[in-house]
Parts: sequence; structure tokens; C-alpha cells
Amino acid sequence: MSQRVKVVPRYGATIKEKLYLPAIFKGMKITFKHLIDNVSDSNAIDTLEYPEEQPSDITSRYRGLHRLTHRDDNSIACVACFMCATACPSQCIFIEATQRDDGQDEKMPKLFAIDTLECIFCGFCVEACPCDAIRMDTGIFSLTGNSREDFVLGKEQLLSHRGLFGEEKSHARK
Amino acid sequence: MSTPAIIVAIISFALGALLALLMIPVLVWLERRGAGLIQDRLGPNRTNVGGFRLGGVVQSFADVIKLVLKEEYYPKHIAKGRWLMMLAPIITFVSALLAFMVIPFADTITIAGESLRVQPLPVDYGILWFLAIGSIGVIGIFFGGWLSHNKYSLLGASRAGSMMIGYELPLGLSILSFVITYNSIDFNAMVAWQSQTLFGFLPAWGMIVQPLAGIILIISLFAETNRAPFSVAEGESEIVAGFFTEFTAMKFAMFFMGEYVAMNTASAVIITMLFGGYQLPWVTTETLLNNFNNFAWSIMALLPIIVLLVIRWMRKNNRVRPSVTSDGGRAFETKVLSIALVVMTLFVEVILLYLTLIPSTLGSSIAIALFQIATFVVKLMIFNLFFILVRWTLPRFRYDQVQHLGWYYLLPLSLFNIFVTAIVVVGVSL
Repeated sequence: MSQRVKVVPRYGATIKEKLYLPAIFKGMKITFKHLIDNVSDSNAIDTLEYPEEQPSDITSRYRGLHRLTHRDDNSIACVACFMCATACPSQCIFIEATQRDDGQDEKMPKLFAIDTLECIFCGFCVEACPCDAIRMDTGIFSLTGNSREDFVLGKEQLLSHRGLFGEEKSHARK
Repeated sequence: MSTPAIIVAIISFALGALLALLMIPVLVWLERRGAGLIQDRLGPNRTNVGGFRLGGVVQSFADVIKLVLKEEYYPKHIAKGRWLMMLAPIITFVSALLAFMVIPFADTITIAGESLRVQPLPVDYGILWFLAIGSIGVIGIFFGGWLSHNKYSLLGASRAGSMMIGYELPLGLSILSFVITYNSIDFNAMVAWQSQTLFGFLPAWGMIVQPLAGIILIISLFAETNRAPFSVAEGESEIVAGFFTEFTAMKFAMFFMGEYVAMNTASAVIITMLFGGYQLPWVTTETLLNNFNNFAWSIMALLPIIVLLVIRWMRKNNRVRPSVTSDGGRAFETKVLSIALVVMTLFVEVILLYLTLIPSTLGSSIAIALFQIATFVVKLMIFNLFFILVRWTLPRFRYDQVQHLGWYYLLPLSLFNIFVTAIVVVGVSL
């Protein structure tokens, strides 16, 4: 027990430390060095000139805006099972199911909407989906609009998003 | 009053107003940009008028437009007498502005046997004026805080008031020891005293003659101007925004600008009392006048080098990164500014050449006055930068620590310093 005790040195007892001024000048030296370095070459600062420069470090695990996937025959992969809407902690997924006529499955969504103002981008819907029909691999990190309605993404819009990392189609169901 | 006297008075008054008021947007920009660069960010650099960014200064003017157009909000309890709420920031702003008006920008120039002060208010009791007017500012703060009918505002205001009392004493006492040393209450005479040399090689700057009083003066002025690390009056981590919690739009902006004017005034007082004012070290006005040709030639040699360095720096930094395609008019701006700088340099060179080839007492004394004004402005900017650097280096003191420092350390030290100064001055004069 006694060997694991780490003695932290107490600072502030010497006259030099009690004077404060040497420490203040030490700190000023650091900030001044940063100032001079950055003034002499402001383009070397490690920041993004955002709208012109886009981030290049979005990984495949990044949870961007949602998309609905297609099957190999370009029909919608979703079977309107309501698993994502059930899993959703912010209850922002709205699904209305309808009969499926293409012989692939029984059900498909007539209406599939995500209110992105409510969405917390937790990715639970992606985890819950048994058909690999909803994904968050678009890499889209900014969504803008002029009204609240603009932020409720419909089925067509979700289907139009493309995946950023190659895996385009859903192979969960044949 | 003769014509030259009137002209000099008008010019120095305009200069004082410009240096105090035009410095506000520059200082706000310098603060934001400086903070950014210190923290490895860029700071505001986008707002432009036709591609002209001037490094981001335009942002301050956009901010002013925003503040003017914002909603004027008054707390509910102020049904009548809204002008009182407006009066509070005006008191703070005007007192800081008036305190600046006694700073000399150049030595007294002699025109036609008449010596004229280059000082917006040509008075010879400058330091008393500064102490009297400079401390009125806190009345505005207290007024605003109390009027807000808000406990945070009242707390902030009473903090400002008690800090004013706590730091006005060391400030006054350290100034007193300078008055004993310089044997004058006139800023101009102080600068003249400081242009001597000590032991033949040291400039007799206040900071070198009276280092202890100098440090106390700087610390007290930081506290007086409510700047970090003494910005407890607005300490937003404890009391929202202190005394200006209830102030919106231009009323808030007046408080905000008043703070910057006060900072500018404090810098001006520090350089006038501690760092030789408008004089360069080792060079008095007489030396400059007697060796005017050498002075003019050295300026003519140095100016192009400085301008070239500035243009090179501008070409290196006023451009976008290679990954960004649109330039946004930066190349054009660099070109126009470079041409303007070169034209101005040529203009100055021609005038100096004319003055060296055809010497005239009037011309050379005006040229030297302008040079001293330039020196003053450069020193002023350096000290404003020092204020900003301190703000972005040090965390805010706790309120009781501030009071402790003021009453237990600065006050006894400044009393001790007066004692020692008096003994030394009496001993020297014996």
C-alpha cells in the first residue's frame, strides 16, 4: 500500500513563486510565441477554411445523415417492420406501411420520414434494422433549410442519398 | 491667439479624438484576432467591402451596424426615465475619453517664437486631470448596475466600486512617487525628464528609475480598466455578465467601447509615465533638431526597408491556402495596399529630401513632431497588445484574491516606495 502512494510536489512556497511575476512572464512568453508564429505564417495554422475547405477525415464509422438502401434490383430494401421506429430514443422516425406488389416481400413503407431536428444521431435505428435498409454512412454532416418542414426528410430524399464508403446495396434479403 | 496656435490646437484635438475613437474598432479587432492567433485559430477574417478585408478590421464596423440595429430592451421596472439607463454607459465612455485628452502626443513645438503644446487639452496638470476624470468612470458602472434592479448587476457594480477604492490608493500613491521623482505634475515635463540618460547609457525611463512603482502602476491600471485578470466586475462565470447584464444593443456597446477607450487611456498613461512617452530612448528633441539631416537620412533609409518587409509579410499571409480555389479578391487587395504603401513612402521620402536640401526650422520641427506622434502611436499599439496578451494569458483572479492583493500587498508596497523615493530625492538634493 505504502509503495503505491505518489507524493505530489507542493508548489508556491518559494519567494519566486509567491512573487507571481516570473510565472506571469513565463506564461506570456508562451502566448507571445504562439502569436508571433501564427502572425508570421497564418496559413500554417491547423484549421479548416470551412465552406471552401471540407473535412477530409470522415471515417466509415462516422454517423452522418441517414439513407435508405436499395436491393440489387433497385427496389427499396425496407420492409416496414417498425424496428427502427421502436428503437429510436427520440421517436423521430415515422413509417406508414403498404402492400408490396413487386413479389419481393409482403410490406414496404408508403411513407418513411425522419425528423432530423429531433434526431440525436445515435445510430440505434441502424443497429435495429434487420434488413440493412437504413444506414448512416453518407458522410453528410450539415443539413440546412429555411423552415422546420425542410428538416423532415421523406422517403424519396432518404433513398436518393448515396453511401460514401463503397457498400451501396443491401444484401440482407434476396 | 495666433494662427499657428489655433491650427496646432485644432490638429492636436482632432488627433486625440481620432486616436481614442478610431482605436476602438482597431482594438476590438486586435483583441479578437489576437485571441485567435494566440489560441492557434484565425479569428475574424471574412467580412469585406469589395474584397477589402484589411486583415479583418471591417468586421468591427459590421458589428457596430449590428449593435445599432438590435432591439432596444429595457427591464420591466424602468417605465419612466429611460434616459437614466442610457446615461450610465455614457458616463463611463465619456470619462475614459476625457481622461485620454491630456496625453501629449509630441513635444511642444516652437513656431514663430511661440511654444505650443501638442496635447488635446493643453493643460500643465495632466496627471491630476487623469486621476480626477479617470475615476468618474466607475460611477457610470455603479449607476448602471444599481439601475438594472438585478442582483447580478448590483453584485458586479459593487465589485467594480470596491475594486476602484482598493486600487485607486496604490495607483495614486505610485503616481505620487513618480511626481516626487519627476518633480512635476505635467505629462510633458515627465516625458522631458525621461529623455535624459542615467549613468550615461541607460534611458531614464520611469520603469528603470522606479521599477516597483512602475509595476504597481501597471497592475493598478489593469484593475482600474476592469481588464483581465481583474475583470471580476463582469465575471461571467459567477455573475452572468456583471453590471451590463441588463444592457442591450448600443447601450451595451457604449460600455464595451468605454472599456477599450479606458484600456487605450491606460496604455497612453503607462507609456507617458513609464516608457518615455513620445520620445525614443537616448534621443531628446534638441538632439533631433540639431542633427536634423542625420535624422532625416536615417528615416529615409529605414522607411523603405520597413515598408518592404510589411509588403512581403502581406503577400505571404493575405492569400488563401492552395486547397481553396476562389481567392475572394485578396490578390487585388494586396496589390492596391502595396501600391498605396509605396506611394506613401515615396511621398515621405520626397518631403524629407526637400527638408534636408532646403533646411527650414519650421519644416524640421513639424517633421520631428510628426515623427514623435508616430513613435507615440507605435508605443501605444505595443502596450495595447500587451494588455490583450495579458488577457489571453492569465485566468481571472477570484474576487477575494483581488482585494487581498490590493490592500495587503500593493498599498504597503507603494507607501514604502514613496518613503524610499522621498529619502533618495531629499538625499540627492542636499
